[in-house]
Parts: sequence; structure tokens; C-alpha cells
Amino acid sequence: MLTIGLDIGSITTKIAVMNSKALIDAKVSFTGYNVEKAWRNILKETLDRLQLKESAVDRIVATGYGRSGVSIANETVTEIKCHAVGARFYMDNVASVIDIGGQDSKFIRIDKGGNVADFVMNDKCAAGTGRFLEVMARALEVDLTDFSKLSLQARKSSPISSMCTVFAESEVISLIAKGESRENIIAGINESIVNRLVSMIGRSKIEEPVVLTGGVAQNIGIQTALMKKLKIKIWVPETAQVNGAIGAAILARNI
Amino acid sequence: MKAFAYFDSGHEFPEEIVMAAGFSPMKILGDVHKGTAAADEYLFPFFCPFARGCLADALENSGKWSGIGVAHGCDATDHHYDMWRDHVKGVPIFWVNTPMKMDQLARTFYIQELKRFIDNLDKQYSVKVGDKELKDAISLSNQVKSLLRQLAPLRVKKDIPNRDYFEIMRKSIQMPKESLVEDLKKTLADWENRKPFPAGKIPTFLTGSDVSFVEFMDLLDNAGFRVVRDDLSLGERYFATSIPDAASPVEALVTYSFDMPRSATRVPSDGRLEYILAVLKDTKIDTVVSQNMKFCEPYAMDAVWTIPAIKGKGYNCMHFERDFTPADNQLFTRLEAFKETIQQKGGRSNV
Repeated sequence: MLTIGLDIGSITTKIAVMNSKALIDAKVSFTGYNVEKAWRNILKETLDRLQLKESAVDRIVATGYGRSGVSIANETVTEIKCHAVGARFYMDNVASVIDIGGQDSKFIRIDKGGNVADFVMNDKCAAGTGRFLEVMARALEVDLTDFSKLSLQARKSSPISSMCTVFAESEVISLIAKGESRENIIAGINESIVNRLVSMIGRSKIEEPVVLTGGVAQNIGIQTALMKKLKIKIWVPETAQVNGAIGAAILARNI
Repeated sequence: MKAFAYFDSGHEFPEEIVMAAGFSPMKILGDVHKGTAAADEYLFPFFCPFARGCLADALENSGKWSGIGVAHGCDATDHHYDMWRDHVKGVPIFWVNTPMKMDQLARTFYIQELKRFIDNLDKQYSVKVGDKELKDAISLSNQVKSLLRQLAPLRVKKDIPNRDYFEIMRKSIQMPKESLVEDLKKTLADWENRKPFPAGKIPTFLTGSDVSFVEFMDLLDNAGFRVVRDDLSLGERYFATSIPDAASPVEALVTYSFDMPRSATRVPSDGRLEYILAVLKDTKIDTVVSQNMKFCEPYAMDAVWTIPAIKGKGYNCMHFERDFTPADNQLFTRLEAFKETIQQKGGRSNV
């Protein structure tokens, strides 16, 4: 059986191709303005790369904010469920998933049966999300890959106290004007994201093992700050960014 | 009969007094499709967007109204009165200071406050609002509440989309009451003949900030949540109780105000939680959706202890913040995920 999961996020579109046991291929591209164009392109590119025809695909499940726009999907499922299922693909006994995406951050608690027992999401605010990091990286003139590593070189973190992305950006600009090092500012930004996440998680109950997913999961500064703050080990799969698409592809096996 | 508009973030404004003065009360709801740009000149963006929407509505439409009443729906509305007086031109504006406490002193205060409001209307419009006029208005108002109490329970049994319920509530606070009575009677006949409650929808109790636009009710329905009970001001708070018979109609209005289900603005809040739990038990609903409008502090703060208390009783319960916008994809995802968790466990979920 060949299944595909398509995760149409606010910043990136992800695809995962799976057979009945394993992940065959995964890819990430930018979503942009046109959702339909985004998923059609990534689907075609992936199938071409694998030298497969669309008819070879048994089922497709779509997830993410643009899921309802995927006309060829056999079913749509929320990203909360997909991330829970995706995390279990790597770690059968996973109890908690922290997902940090472009516009959402989520904490998902999974029960012993593998079902979503509980979840919390950020409210109407970009702070604590991938979009927040993008804005900050732009203000500091670093790309997101460097942004991830630079915080590890910080001597101390410069606290960012504003809860609002726009005001946090101006706070960052003030710190730059004061001559604060880029590394220290980035460490402060990572801490502010983590503090926000931990407050959100506080509304639920975190249990180990914990898996971190989403595009921001690749940020080593966030990983480190999160483990330090929560005082627990967090596991980040190599395919953290496509975890939702993997979950969707797995769910497609059983519909 | 000319409309007398009122701005009320709860169900505090005494509609019956303006009815007795010969006007048709009309609650201002703002227009979510027009946005709040006109009001943003006078109110900071971190102010409740519903309130900004109401001011935008008043700035555009005040010329069509005989007067505007501002009720003490929440503490922020005190200052709205000052602001509206400065910026909404060409129409008299009145302030009705509903007490938020429910003790004897508050009762005495509110009687005086309503008498002051009546006196102001008498002077402004050269009318005489007497006991007879007030009792007639109360009688008409009770007719409306009685019809709504016949309609509302049908939501549990019949296929009544959330938007249909919202629409009768919108009419109830915006239509002239005489024509409203006929309209509600027709709606009752229609609803009684509807199909049974649809399989696949989750019977839901809706609480939190007032819902002022139908798209939010559609969002809930589309995600699978059918609102069968609520304690909204634009909902059951409006009709849960009737205005009692009393020798003094002003005192009857005060008793009504004190006896209706509590909103989050009134203290202490215990009564509000007790009411919600009693309704859940009585109606055998096990799902609660609680929401607060962004910057609606009374409900945001109330949720901190109300929601854990509801969850603690084992009910499915989700609380979230929403905005003054007709489209909200993130919210739809949260609601769908909430539904998935309820379905996969075949029962309770706390989110």
C-alpha cells in the first residue's frame, strides 16, 4: 500500500510518502499565496522523483491549515491528531508532543492507547511561533539556520519581555542599538519562546517521553532552552518538520 | 416607532423603560464585515474589538436613532459612555449604571438609577413614563421571553442550526417587539416541524463573551458543535427568567436584573458556575465550549477558575480566545481537534 500525507502549513507545505511499513520520501516547500499550487507542485515533484504515477497512490490524507483545499484528499484530519500519530511512528510510547509551527504552537498529550488525551494551542498571537522567529531573524539579519546555532555561543541571554511580536521586534532593535551581541539577543529570543510555551503547557500536564516537532524543532537553541526550562529530555526526530505529513500518511492506511 | 439604540456588553440595559417611553429598543452589535476602522481613531487597538465595532456602528448610524443608552455591561463601558458622548454626534446619550454586586445596597442604588434614567427620558423627549406604560412594556417583554423559552428547548430535540438560534436572538434585541412576537410564533411553528436532532453533531453548552455575529455560530456548527444550551447575554440570559409581577414596575425590573443568570462581570462569580453546572446536569450535556473575545477581560479572568471547575466535574470542555472576525481557520482546527478527541475516546475530553 502506498499512502501520502500532505501537510499544508501557513509557511511551508510538507509531503510524506509511505508504504505499509516505512517512510519512502518526504519533502518541504514554501506554501506561498496559492495553496492549491503549493500542494500540486510538491505532489508532482515528489511523484516524478519517485517515478510514480498518481494512480499508484492508494490514499491521500491532508492536514494543516490548508487541508480543506486539497481536493484530491480522501480525507482531512487536523494537525493535532496527525502530529500525535506521526510522533508515535518514531516512538511508540510517546506521551507528549510539542509542535512549533509557523502560526501555531501546540502541546499534545497522548494517552496509553495512542489517542490525543488533551491539547493546548497558542491563542491569537504569533509570539512563540515560527513566524515570530522569522521576524526576529530578519531584524537581526541572520538566516534561520545561523539563528539556530548562534544562541549556543551566547555568554548570557538578553531578556525579551514583550509578549507581542511587533513590540518584541522593536525591543530587539533597542538591544541592537545598545550594542548587545547578536548571540545574546538570540538566546533571549529563544528563551522568550520557551517561556511562552512552558506557560501554555502548564495548562495541561507534561509526561515523558516528549517529542518536539514542527519547523522550529530544528532550532537547536530552542531545543536546548526547552530542555533546560522543563528539566526533561526531549527527542527531536530528523523528520520533525514533516511529522504532521507522516501522521497523515499513516492515517491514510486505515481510512 | 423610532429605534432607541443601546450599547451593552451584557444584558443589563432595561429595554422596557425605553419601550415605555415610546421607542423600540435596539441593541448595537457592530458589523464584523465593516471592521472597526472608524472607531480606531478614538479607541486603542488593545481595546475589546466588539466594543470598537459598536462605536464604529454608532459613528455611522447614530442619525437613524432617537437616542443611545449605554449600560454598565462591564467596567470598560463606563469610559465608553464618556467617549461616545464626545464623538457620537447628533443624538442624546444616556448612561445606566447597573450594579455589579447583588446586595441590598446595590438594589437600593439600582432603583434610584432606573428612576433617574426614566426622569432623564421624560425631560429629553417630553414624555411621561408612568407605571402603566412600564407595566405594558414589561408584559410585552415577558411575552417575548416566554416565546423564546418555548423555542430554546427545541434545540435539544430538533435540527436547529446554530445560525437559526442566533438569528432569533438577534431579532429579539433588534426588532420592534410587537412584530417580533408574531415572528417568534411563526418560528415556533417552523421549529416544531423540523427534523430530529442530527446524528454526528455534539450537543454543546456555549459560554463566555457575547457572540455578536452569526459566522462564529456557523464555525461551531461546521466543526460539529450544535449549541443546545448557553448562558450568553445574546442568548439564555435574555429569556431564562421573566420580569416578576410587582406593585412597582421599577422594583420588578431590579428584581429581574438581580435574578437572571450571572455574567462574568458580576461578583461573586460562584452563581455563574453553579448555574452552568446545574444546566449541564439538567440537560445531560457533556460538552462545553467556552470562549472569550480578545481583550474581553471579565471572561478571560473568569475562565481561569471556571474552566478547571467544569473540567474537574468530568465534562468535555475547551476554552479559547477568539477575535472579532468572520473567518478564523485556526479556531476551526482547534474545534475539529476537540471533536476528534471526544469521538476517539467515545466520550469525555478536556482541552
